Amino acid sequence: MLRSGTSKASRRNVLKGVGMATIGASLPPVGSALAQGAPAAKGPKLLEMEGKAKLAVLGDKPLVAETQAELLDDNVTPTNKLFIRNNGQVPDVTGDPKAWKVKIDGEVNTPVEISVGDLMSKFPAVTYQLMLECGGNGRSFFSPDARGNQWTNGGAGCPMWTGVRLADVLKSAGLKSSAVYIGSYGADPTLAGETDKPTISRGVPIAKAMEEHTLIAFKLNGQDLPLIHGAPARLVIPGWPASVSTKWLKRIWVRDKEHDGPGMGGFSYRVPKTPIVPGSKGNEKDMAILESMPVRSVITFPADGSKLTSRKLDLRGHAWAGDFEVKTVDISTDYGVTWKPAKVDAPANKYAWQNFSASIELPTTGYYEVWAKATDSKGVTQPFQAANWNPQGYGANPINRIRVLVES
Amino acid sequence: MTRINITHAVVVTLTATFILLAFDRAGELRKDKYVYAPPAPKAAPVAAAEPDPDKGKPPPHNDKVEDLPEGKNRELTFYTCTACHGVALIKAQGLTRELWDSTLDLMVDKHRMPPIKAEERSEILDYLAEHFPPRRKGRGSDNPFLK
Repeated sequence: MLRSGTSKASRRNVLKGVGMATIGASLPPVGSALAQGAPAAKGPKLLEMEGKAKLAVLGDKPLVAETQAELLDDNVTPTNKLFIRNNGQVPDVTGDPKAWKVKIDGEVNTPVEISVGDLMSKFPAVTYQLMLECGGNGRSFFSPDARGNQWTNGGAGCPMWTGVRLADVLKSAGLKSSAVYIGSYGADPTLAGETDKPTISRGVPIAKAMEEHTLIAFKLNGQDLPLIHGAPARLVIPGWPASVSTKWLKRIWVRDKEHDGPGMGGFSYRVPKTPIVPGSKGNEKDMAILESMPVRSVITFPADGSKLTSRKLDLRGHAWAGDFEVKTVDISTDYGVTWKPAKVDAPANKYAWQNFSASIELPTTGYYEVWAKATDSKGVTQPFQAANWNPQGYGANPINRIRVLVES
Repeated sequence: MTRINITHAVVVTLTATFILLAFDRAGELRKDKYVYAPPAPKAAPVAAAEPDPDKGKPPPHNDKVEDLPEGKNRELTFYTCTACHGVALIKAQGLTRELWDSTLDLMVDKHRMPPIKAEERSEILDYLAEHFPPRRKGRGSDNPFLK
């Protein structure tokens, strides 16, 4: 039982082998490189896009690309290494970014259409380091396969975001007492090219919308948002599935009930209330919205598949836990038999990931798996294998594993 | 002595390079290869201030039927699915026929796929279930140190 779980996670987790070129060898034959008609190179297709690093392409229509674990090593995720997730097409955004308008309507006293320029001049600017994490992050660790983009742990990043607080904007429009939820809309056309229908429209309860770290952001790492990351304005609602952090933000509809746009119902961004048989169809009526993302740790150095010349292993990585803080990260080099605490730094601010590091003396030369397991402020830790299987594969956060070989 | 050798080497190298270049220009070295035909360049912008709507967008992308594994109903499956999304998304899945069936429901119900005729749906499901069944996951021969 445990064995099959570990092998599964390890196999998928472990893609980042001896070098980029070998990554594909650890992927199953289907779904790997040939998908894009790329030359017969091994490994997933690597992104070739101006302004972006060679991320692993999970799909290119729509474009979806994840950040390989070793590229997540920076303490603040550089813009070129931030993952890409699109649901539809990328809209045309031309002209003066400050003239771009965002509509606030619904349960407010004064519905407004406010320009980005006015948002910038009327409300105080704030900058935070905030997690952005795809709701499906970790999906590839489910066994059997769950439906969707097969993320390992790279649908996540923690850059600096600058913008205004959504709370300030909503307050100025005057929230009615009937306001309980928001639903947000972006300008991205559907995959079929329609611009009159939303590609996706998700939302959060009003309390989450009013948190001080929930932003309408204009800048990413101090620069204007790149188009692919939602220029000229996007929501950043940290700690929750990134599909609520609407790119190319056009409208915030304040609702008097739970938002019901595309992406809010059925199996989308939901997990079973009652555990279901893995691989079964599930019951749409017994699902709950995935809100806070689960606790997760990722070893970003060394890369999986590294050969070491010394038994001394200095490793590092990041851990995060949705709305919560990471309390501890433990490291095992003997398949979970014994654990040793890593050093865990405080977050730069709430919703920033936390750096961890450990210095470990491996007992011998030879082959080792190095496991990392984070535990959050509620005492909730990472499971040995992806749990609570669901058809669309949300919430997979098994213990992180890398493989190393000590040679001399 | 040394001088003569270097001169020889230079002459031979240059001659070889010219011959290769000549062949290459004549297409002799690229006979059977797929030749990439770049899309026709856009008309030069009349006004210099005309913004490029594609600036910052992902590179263009097109799948071919051959990107899916050969088999009965491949073309039907290709054209039905890639009307919206890429082949990579199909190939990343490994599902039972039942889950493929509910995937088509998802596409129709949530992603505006036009409803499919029952017969075609069955043919598409035959293809998907045969070529993209649940994968066996496990620690196999994929260890990076076994190569």
